Amino acid sequence: MLEDDVKVLLIEDDVAAAEMYRLRLVADGYSVVIGRDGKEGLRMAVHEAPDFIYLDLRLPGLDGFEVLESLRSAPETMHIPVIILTNYGEPELRERGMKLGALEFLVKSDTTPAQLAESVERAIAPRSLPAS
Amino acid sequence: MWDDPGIQDDASRRLFRDSVRLAARLASAAGIPRTASLLLLRGDILACVAASDLVEPGARGPYRVSDHPVFDRAISSDRMVDDPPLVILPVRGDDRVVALLVIRGEGRLAADVRGTLQSLAGIVGLGLSQAAIADELLQEAERSRRLERLKSEFLNIAAHELRSPLGIIRGYASMLGEGVLPDAERHVALSRITEKAEEMARLISDMLETARLETLGLELELEPLDLLKVIEDAVRAMRPLLGRKHTFVVTAQRDSMLVVADRRRLTTMLTNLIDNAIKYSPAGGTIEIGCDDDGRAASILVRDHGIGINAEQAHLLFSRFGRLVTPETSHIRGTGLGLYLARETARLHGGDITVTATKGGGSTFTVVLPLA
Repeated sequence: MLEDDVKVLLIEDDVAAAEMYRLRLVADGYSVVIGRDGKEGLRMAVHEAPDFIYLDLRLPGLDGFEVLESLRSAPETMHIPVIILTNYGEPELRERGMKLGALEFLVKSDTTPAQLAESVERAIAPRSLPAS
Repeated sequence: MWDDPGIQDDASRRLFRDSVRLAARLASAAGIPRTASLLLLRGDILACVAASDLVEPGARGPYRVSDHPVFDRAISSDRMVDDPPLVILPVRGDDRVVALLVIRGEGRLAADVRGTLQSLAGIVGLGLSQAAIADELLQEAERSRRLERLKSEFLNIAAHELRSPLGIIRGYASMLGEGVLPDAERHVALSRITEKAEEMARLISDMLETARLETLGLELELEPLDLLKVIEDAVRAMRPLLGRKHTFVVTAQRDSMLVVADRRRLTTMLTNLIDNAIKYSPAGGTIEIGCDDDGRAASILVRDHGIGINAEQAHLLFSRFGRLVTPETSHIRGTGLGLYLARETARLHGGDITVTATKGGGSTFTVVLPLA
């Protein structure tokens, strides 16, 4: 897989968390851009055309669910795989996220950066497989 | 049939309804139909809480006692008043008249019927006292249910607040273990781990301090202190959290301000206020810290230019499990305990904390502490 070509968008307002995930993803050769709130995230999802998005739920302004709904309803972004990455582990939130079209729902404190990097591979794997 | 919202207990309802029906039947025994009603007394107002079926429309009150001399007479004399077509029997609960049993109908009641009605009024009085006790118990139960609910909501918030730094600590620790971090990033990882461990320690200490305050009360370790030094310490402790967007402006009108206080708790109180000012001014700006005294009390101001709050919500800021969550603040981390503990600390020192704030116009917290 040519990971240099893969661009990941992190929509995350916690500076320390965003920086940590960025470091780990960059170590695996991904290119990473960060949106600090819901609106910025949505803008970057269009302009940066990422291959993949990590989305926090607790964000200033628009929350993660609202962002996910917008991503899913806009033609430019509806195809981009989204993984929710949050401190909330409640089953009803997980269910809501999956219903809105998230690929996975990860709880930050239970997910190491290495596991996070693996989730990118899972998310983009179908596209990098041979067409057969 | 029930006009009094204070009485909700079904058993009391039945007792009062059965009592007035029985009273009406007893009083009608001589063959002349009579009605009975039970009027509850609250201050100067009598309101009907139960009536027999024959009550006339409009006869249920509420009545102002002072407008009805006959009711007034029954209450002040605490004796049965016979004033055709009414017979009024005071109902005593504990040590005073709490209601009137009113019989309406023509002709005089036989002596034995009066006696029986008086006994009935006594039983209704007992019922009313029981209802009042039950009511109090219900309210108490409702209060503790509410507190339990708040506590579990709080535990939920606290767990999420602990998860956030924990995620960073585990994340960096695992990356250090993997060896994926470039040399230059390793020291960043270590300082992040330290920083987040301290954040967790602060959260836990706030929770323990709250629990201790609730069960044992806090014992202050008092010593003579210069308040200016305490402010300096707090500002120094918080400077690393400032980031690029905020600056501190510290002003002092005096060279020293002596107080007798608990150094550790006072420092925590000030760091909590400064932490709050940083968190709630996400766009940045100056955080002003000023101090002055009027010869008797010292005052410390912590002012930010952040998102502020509605003036009418300001008093909620200091409640124990009541972190103020609005659309503007829902993404900001915190348990809300910091401000609660800050004010308790000020009060334990004989002082207080007040806040003036406007939505969008920043907040100013003022600590007042008695001088030594």
